[in-house]
Amino acid sequence: MSTVTIVLLWLINLVTDTGGQLAFKAAAIENREAQGWAHWRHMLGRPWIYIGAIAYIFEFVAWLAFLSTVTLAEGVLLGMAGIVTVMVGGRLWFKERLTRPRTIGISLILAGVALVGLGGGA
Amino acid sequence: MSSRVFFIIGLLALLVFDTFAQVCFKFTALHAAPLTFDLPWLLRALSTPWVYCSILGYLCAFVTYMTMLRRIPVGPAFAAAHLEVVGVLVISVPLFGEVLSVLQYLGAVLILAGVFCLAYGESNRNPGGMAVEGH
Repeated sequence: MSTVTIVLLWLINLVTDTGGQLAFKAAAIENREAQGWAHWRHMLGRPWIYIGAIAYIFEFVAWLAFLSTVTLAEGVLLGMAGIVTVMVGGRLWFKERLTRPRTIGISLILAGVALVGLGGGA
Repeated sequence: MSSRVFFIIGLLALLVFDTFAQVCFKFTALHAAPLTFDLPWLLRALSTPWVYCSILGYLCAFVTYMTMLRRIPVGPAFAAAHLEVVGVLVISVPLFGEVLSVLQYLGAVLILAGVFCLAYGESNRNPGGMAVEGH
């Protein structure tokens, strides 16, 4: 498979993963008053949760295609990139604050995911 | 309930549901082996109760995650959801006899430390009246 295809799969994966997460966040906070079933009825009557679900179906297919063409290391790297893009997306769209505990926490998780992913096969 | 407590309870529930779903998925795959990606393989997978346990686990995990997202910012929530990696890693030792490397144990510890940092980073105060979930 050509480099262009792999880069394209990378981008599709990253965009659908990040887009799906941000859409779910948008769905969850659209109606701040409704609770329980009323909240779910509201979410299911609005587009965001479906946009998130469709993004995840695309991501699943792109992930399968991606894994069959690249090494495990590249796959792990992609998973790590998703953590960063969701954080940046949340900052841009929802004005989430990047406090120090959050930055440190996310960095530790990035390092942990890298070690778990690449440290296999003992 | 403060955001911190809400975050921790949500993550623990997510961990249980996600790990349960993944383990059931693994049992489904073992039952349906060999992995041929054809109709007989799909029918073998659908003929075991494990696949339906897995779907139920994923549904519960999704409801939990959506509830968490009402109050927890998506950046930290998504990162912390990787706690599932630790859950699956740890349970695969007794259940599937998998052997973990030192690096993997270290990675699991780093993920745990990261999740503690994120929990610490959530407000310890109870937001007065505004959309308090979990009731």
